[in-house]
Amino acid sequence: MKGRPILGTLAVLGYIIMIVPILFVVSTAFTAGDALTFPPQGVSLRWFGEALAYQPFVGALLSSLQLAVVSTALALLLGVPVTLAIQRGKIPGKSLVEGLFLSPLVVPELVVGLALYQQIMIGLHQTSFVALLVGHTVLLLPYAVRVTGASLALADPAVEEAARGLGATPLRTFFSVTLPLLRPGIFSAGLLSFVTSFNNVPLSLLLQSRQFRTLPVTMLDYVQQSYDPMIAAMSTLILAGTVVIAIVAEKTLGFAKIFGGINK
Amino acid sequence: MSRKPALLLIPGLVFILFGFAIPSAIMLLAPPSTDTADVFARFGAMLTDPYDLAIIWRTVRIGVIVTVACVVLGFPIAYLLARSTSRFAGMWLALAIFPLLLSNVVRTFGWLVILGSQGAFGQLLVVLGITDQPPQLLYTELAIVLGLIQLFLPLAVISCYSAVAQVDAGLDHAARGLGATKSQTLWKIVIPLSRPGILIAGTLVFAGATTAYTTPYLLGGSSQRMLSTQLFSYASVSVDWAAASATALMMTLLVFMVSGLSSLISRKAGVTS
Amino acid sequence: MTTAAEFTGVTQAYGDTVAVDNLNLQIEQGKLTTLLGPSGCGKTTTLRMLAGYITPSAGTITINGADATRLPPEKRNLGMVFQSYALFPHLTVADNVGFGLKLRKVPATKRRELVMANLDLVGLAHLADRKPKALSGGQQQRVALARAIAISPSLLLLDEPLSNLDARLRVQMRSEIRRIQGETGLTVVLVTHDQEEALEMSDTMVVMRAGKVMQTGAPATVFTAPANRFVADFLGYENFLTQSDGSLLTVRPEHLRVAAAGVVPTTPGLTVAAVVRESVYRGVDHIVTMTATDATGTPITLVSTTRRDTLTADAGFQPGDLVTAQARDHEIVRLTSEN
Repeated sequence: MKGRPILGTLAVLGYIIMIVPILFVVSTAFTAGDALTFPPQGVSLRWFGEALAYQPFVGALLSSLQLAVVSTALALLLGVPVTLAIQRGKIPGKSLVEGLFLSPLVVPELVVGLALYQQIMIGLHQTSFVALLVGHTVLLLPYAVRVTGASLALADPAVEEAARGLGATPLRTFFSVTLPLLRPGIFSAGLLSFVTSFNNVPLSLLLQSRQFRTLPVTMLDYVQQSYDPMIAAMSTLILAGTVVIAIVAEKTLGFAKIFGGINK
Repeated sequence: MSRKPALLLIPGLVFILFGFAIPSAIMLLAPPSTDTADVFARFGAMLTDPYDLAIIWRTVRIGVIVTVACVVLGFPIAYLLARSTSRFAGMWLALAIFPLLLSNVVRTFGWLVILGSQGAFGQLLVVLGITDQPPQLLYTELAIVLGLIQLFLPLAVISCYSAVAQVDAGLDHAARGLGATKSQTLWKIVIPLSRPGILIAGTLVFAGATTAYTTPYLLGGSSQRMLSTQLFSYASVSVDWAAASATALMMTLLVFMVSGLSSLISRKAGVTS
Repeated sequence: MTTAAEFTGVTQAYGDTVAVDNLNLQIEQGKLTTLLGPSGCGKTTTLRMLAGYITPSAGTITINGADATRLPPEKRNLGMVFQSYALFPHLTVADNVGFGLKLRKVPATKRRELVMANLDLVGLAHLADRKPKALSGGQQQRVALARAIAISPSLLLLDEPLSNLDARLRVQMRSEIRRIQGETGLTVVLVTHDQEEALEMSDTMVVMRAGKVMQTGAPATVFTAPANRFVADFLGYENFLTQSDGSLLTVRPEHLRVAAAGVVPTTPGLTVAAVVRESVYRGVDHIVTMTATDATGTPITLVSTTRRDTLTADAGFQPGDLVTAQARDHEIVRLTSEN
């Protein structure tokens, strides 16, 4: 940053806005007092204990994990074959098909949520879990298609031809060559999908029910009613979990590589 | 495998059509027990109703401010990191990207602590003797803007970073060697060449900021409604499908218009340069 | 001769573009055949049709006498080496080479034996446990070769196998491939755009242009008697002179000598008056570019790269010098058809 006073100042300001609010949440989570104030009064872990004993949070956490795992698996199961068809098959209107699978990124999530609320929950009388599973899977499909597609596009198609030439059937070629090549892409897509589903608010808010409510929605509800450090403690726990995921991502594939797939 | 690509496509295609495209189209144009005409009538009324217009205008205004701020703050981060030779550059980049993995709800709570009535910022002003009483910063447009900048800045950093990283650093050296100052090099070489990435950054941030729900809900409350919070209230509080569809239509059109405009600009730039 | 593979009336068209046009070709058993030509001549398409990656639009392909036109690649038992080598990045060198054997259900001990034997053949037995990424380009190339040979293919197909190697390695690999071909007795089909490679390596060369075969023959035959202007041009002939009867003569630049105007040749041959346009010193020779007129009155460019007899820094001819370009009778090639 030397010799770049203006750029340096703007960059520092940017980091402050991105990071400092997170630090405030963490610091207030360790308060010994009763109020969500700054500076915190004393240091204790009591609010972490309370958050983990608070049944609605624990229940919602389990719901969120369940939904994230199932919708990620479903999105990969549907999305990876689509990627293969787009990247390796000769299908007409290829870019149109790809555009369709990426379009959930463009349409506002509230629109999708409301649409599924009307069609699936009201229209078809399905449970909120079914509606949420459909909604989250739709939301994750773009990652499954694009991120795995990016890793497949980098792979040499001749590798698959080589396998065929050596005597492998198309199915055998898929399992012994294509799938291993796709593995890093599937891993990135799965990781991004899991996090995206877990953190989602708009869909989870519109499609919730008394029986099934995700953690972010429960936390939003909670903060409307009571404004105490338990919410900061729960947030800090989520932060810790996210840091673990980030470290796993960095150690296995590298952060930038995983996120490289979102853009472009 | 390439013989039957259509079979691979079918499950995904069915899912995205029936789980997304068709329901969304129905919701926007013909919601349950509502005439399409009612949706359009409500849409027309929004454009003349002062209350609705205020919400639309606030949404656009906030979207533009947040977009500009994210590019102005995000590009320098991206540029400095892309050109840095420090071994910590990777760590700083990870720090800028990491918030994308973190829940919006968690990220937004921070502002409650900072801007709330007993929050850090107000207390600081009192301690410094600038005001006697902590000012009301929560439930203001400023709060929403700050929250959204925090939310979308990482996205702007990634887009700008991949754009700047693609600009050969040798060009910077060449420009400097030909007598350009650092800032001339930045404005005449790096920025023009990374314009597509900056444009993508702007589009992503605008689309995100104008449709985000958590931030205006937590930081704007009911006094600072945006299209997203308004849509939610039509859908779940007043259960007015026509109004909800009209609002959703407005939001969708806004996002489509901006991304259409952005791809138009980048296409035009692609032709001339 | 025994035919290992045969193309009969094979055409491959993508929409309006015809990549291969009514091809008739026989690949001789136990020999090395090269498909030579510039990019877009259809040589790679021909090879890929033989391997089964592309199905011809028309015609038949037989391998060992059996119709293979529509047979999928995995049922052809051909060994192919790709231009990009196409090694499986997630498998070790040994597992790459053993891939085809595993599919053929060769028992593990026998497989290991064959893998090592084939790696030995290419001199890479010591790298068996490495991943492809840890190998140099030349080593990857050898692994690809070993992998293709390991399955005891009925034909070995090489798609521009040397084009990604640096110049020295490329020359070394030429004789290496010939050696392996000799040791294994394999029938090899090699695709290349490098005439030198084709001349050095082939038993039979097939020169192709725009989807058609221009000439087939042994390297010496094709080199000394190119069938037409295209083949001559591709093999490095320059100095094309149309005669008054419409026939075409050509002389290689290294055979065209330059003498001062008025010098009469001692041996019968060709003498053309010319003006020097440019003369460039190249160490072993000068490259002299001249302007002349052929028998039909058309201005032509002549190029001579005659080797100098002595080591001298003499600049030779100067631009503007009036000279005669000369070639002896046995250095002149008469082309039968203009094309």
